[in-house]
This record gives sequence, C-alpha cells and structure tokens, in this order.
Amino acid sequence: MNLSHNYLYAAAMLLFCIGLYNVIVRRNIVKKLIGLNIMETSVFFFYISLGYTRNGVAPVAGAGADPTRMVNPVPQVLVLTGIIVAVGVTALALSMVILLHRKYGTLDTDQIMRMARQEETQAAREEGN
Amino acid sequence: MEPALNTILIVLLVTTAILATLSRDLLAGVIIFSVYGLIMSLMWLRLQAPDLALAEAAMGAGVTTVFFLVTVFKTRGRDQS
Amino acid sequence: MKRLLALLFVAALAVLLLFLVTKMPSLGDPDNPARQGMATQYLERSPEDTGAQDAVTAVNVNYRGYDTMGKVGIIYCALMGVLAVLGREKRGRIQARLDGARVAPSKIVEVMVRFVIPFIILFSAYVIIHAEISPGGGFQGGAIIGASMIIFTTIFGLQEASRRMPQGLRVPLEGSAIMTFFVLGVLGIAGGGTFLTYAWPRVSTSIQPALANWLSVIVEMAIGIGVGFALISILFAMMREEEDLEPVA
Repeated sequence: MNLSHNYLYAAAMLLFCIGLYNVIVRRNIVKKLIGLNIMETSVFFFYISLGYTRNGVAPVAGAGADPTRMVNPVPQVLVLTGIIVAVGVTALALSMVILLHRKYGTLDTDQIMRMARQEETQAAREEGN
Repeated sequence: MEPALNTILIVLLVTTAILATLSRDLLAGVIIFSVYGLIMSLMWLRLQAPDLALAEAAMGAGVTTVFFLVTVFKTRGRDQS
Repeated sequence: MKRLLALLFVAALAVLLLFLVTKMPSLGDPDNPARQGMATQYLERSPEDTGAQDAVTAVNVNYRGYDTMGKVGIIYCALMGVLAVLGREKRGRIQARLDGARVAPSKIVEVMVRFVIPFIILFSAYVIIHAEISPGGGFQGGAIIGASMIIFTTIFGLQEASRRMPQGLRVPLEGSAIMTFFVLGVLGIAGGGTFLTYAWPRVSTSIQPALANWLSVIVEMAIGIGVGFALISILFAMMREEEDLEPVA
C-alpha cells in the first residue's frame, strides 16, 4: 500500500492532527500554544520530506560530493524561514499570555472569556446610564 | 536500517507530542515539548538537512522552551483557577 | 461533548489527509516533481556562482536574498510586538522578582558558567563565519548567542544580566541586521548592479569574487548579531516585573 511507502508524509499528517486537536480541546492557553507549535513543526517536516531522495546526501559541496545525489536545498531555506516565524509567533503569543494573566489572574480560556464578557456588559450598562 | 531508524524516531515524535499536552502539570508538558524539539532536530539530520538541525536545536528546543518556561513561572504563583 | 465533536472532526481530517498521502508522488524518488527544476541548477552552479560550498547558505543569502531580508524583518517585528505588549524598562534600572529566575547561588555553578560562556560565544562566532563552508549560518549562530545570554540570566539573575547588556548596547544592535541588509542593498545599486547584488560590475574583475565573498560574510555576521540581540531583548522584556511597566509610546 502506498501509505507505508510514503510513511514520512503520513507521520507529518498525524502530527498535524495531534496539534490541531490540542489547539481545539485544551482550555489552558499555554497548552494551546504547545499544540500550535506541534502543528507548525509538522508542516515543516512534511515540506522537507518532499525534497528528500533515497540515499541522498546533505547539500554541502565538500571534497568530491556528487551534486546529483544531493537533496533539494530550496525547501530547507523556506523551512528555515518557517522556524524563525514560529519562534517569533510563539514569543509574541507568550507575551500576550503574560499580559492576560496580569489582568485576569488565570490561564483558563473559558474563565477569561466569561470575565471579559462580564466586563463588557458592565461597561455597556454604565454607558447607558 | 534506514526506514527502521526513521520509524523509531517517528514513534518517539508522536509519543512526545501526545504526552506534551496530556499532563496536568504545565511544567512537565513544557519539558516534554523540549524533548519533542530535540527529536525533531534528529529527524532533520535523518532527512539530510544539517542547517535545519542546528536551527531547530538552537531555536526550537532551546529558545522556545525557555520562553515557555518564563511564561509558566510568571503565571504560576498568582493563579486563582 | 465538545471533546467528542473535536475528536470526530480531527479524525475525519486525518482520514482525508491520509487518503491524500496515498495519492502523492512516491517518497524519495529521484524523479519527484519536487526535485526537478531549479534545484539541480542551484546545486550544480552554486560553488562557482557564489563561492559558497554550502548550497543552503548560497540559496539563502545569494539566490534568495530578499527572503532573508524579510526573515530578519520578521524577527524585528516580533521584537517590536513583544515590546509593544510588555514595554521596555526605563534606562538604567530593571527589577525582577521572578522566583524561578535565579538559581540559588552555588559557587561551582557560577564559576563553571563564567568559564563556559566565552566558549559558547566563540562557537556561535564559528557557526556564523563558517556559513558558506559547512552547515551553519547567521540564524543558527544568533540563536546560540541568545542561548548563552539565557544561561547567564538564569544563573546570575536579571539585574546582573541587564547590567552586562544595557539598553544602550542592545537597541542599536537589534536593528543592525536589517539596516546592514538595506545598506548593502543600496551599495549594490551604487556598485552598478541591482538591489542587494553581490556582483558589482563597476569594480575591477580581479577582486569581484573576493568582494562577493566578503559581502556574504558581513551579511551573515549582521544577521547573527541582530537575531541574537533581538532574542535577548525579548527575554529581558518577558522576564521583568510589572512595577516598571510603561508601554512604549
């Protein structure tokens, strides 16, 4: 079956689904961010295994390395960009988590949304008066 | 040899990915996520991408884990939930 | 109930994706459509076009240099976002009451960390400068610089670390990466080529390969310093306490 031959692609899809389940289901924001990071790294994994050739070597032209056997260097450059974007997004999201905790005192998304809605209705009521 | 080692690494990846958000303690989850980053870095080596292995080891398993740890420590003592 | 729905949705998505995987071209085939095209050109022509032996660095800095300029811009924007959310400290003082930030002082640990950090910085310089010869590059070296400062901050505390890396040092160096890219790009136009080219037609042909090599090394060093100091600033902004909080205007 083709699935066992393309096992790297299947592993990337499985990791993506694990990450997506965590983002949807967990109530703690930090666990959601861990799930987001797992999704991102699974996409990088998929992208690199596209350019992989069996018995390939790294794209470094050392002493007598054969350019026809090397793996594709372009996905590696694009995934390097992706890793940096993941670090940037994680840093920004975590700083917002710190600020949320300062304001609401909890990391639970249900409680935060409830408190935010209460604040909104209270502010709307004071505006109306 | 080659698919066997890849399969072992993939099983480890999926296991750490599942365990990282399953534990109640947030600190344990973040440390397991760091292990996930390390095994992903080994996977990049298996896919003949040494630049990415360096980048993932330094940034994924290093800097991102430290940011998570700083957040967990800063949101710990005053948690009222 | 919500968990069951989410599980069903994710399971359906997984089945769909795995079905699509069976339709994909075979993994590792040398005749893959993902392996054809520019990849063979980059691999064969990069040592003589760019003088770089590492094809990934050649593609990163030379063939797709605009992408790298954007990459450094991404890190700088992440830094600006973190500072907009958390704010920078006033010059000259920083406080931290983070309990886990400072390990209990142990002489052995302090001495070893003081001994090891110069070697870590030396290693990061090695990784940055050997960008073209071996696997490495600016981003990896910059992350290692950030990691060395993280070790120092963990062992010695945030006050000591911010005394070693004061704001006057960090602020110019954070933006140095993207500024260097821009300056080199404009110099490329002045040298007679297009924006951000390393081949300047107006210079004499004997020094052109050496000039291109030197420019790539300068670009990689600037990337390394910029990324490293941006990560250090993000760490300091996330670690400090809220008594100093004043949002950046």
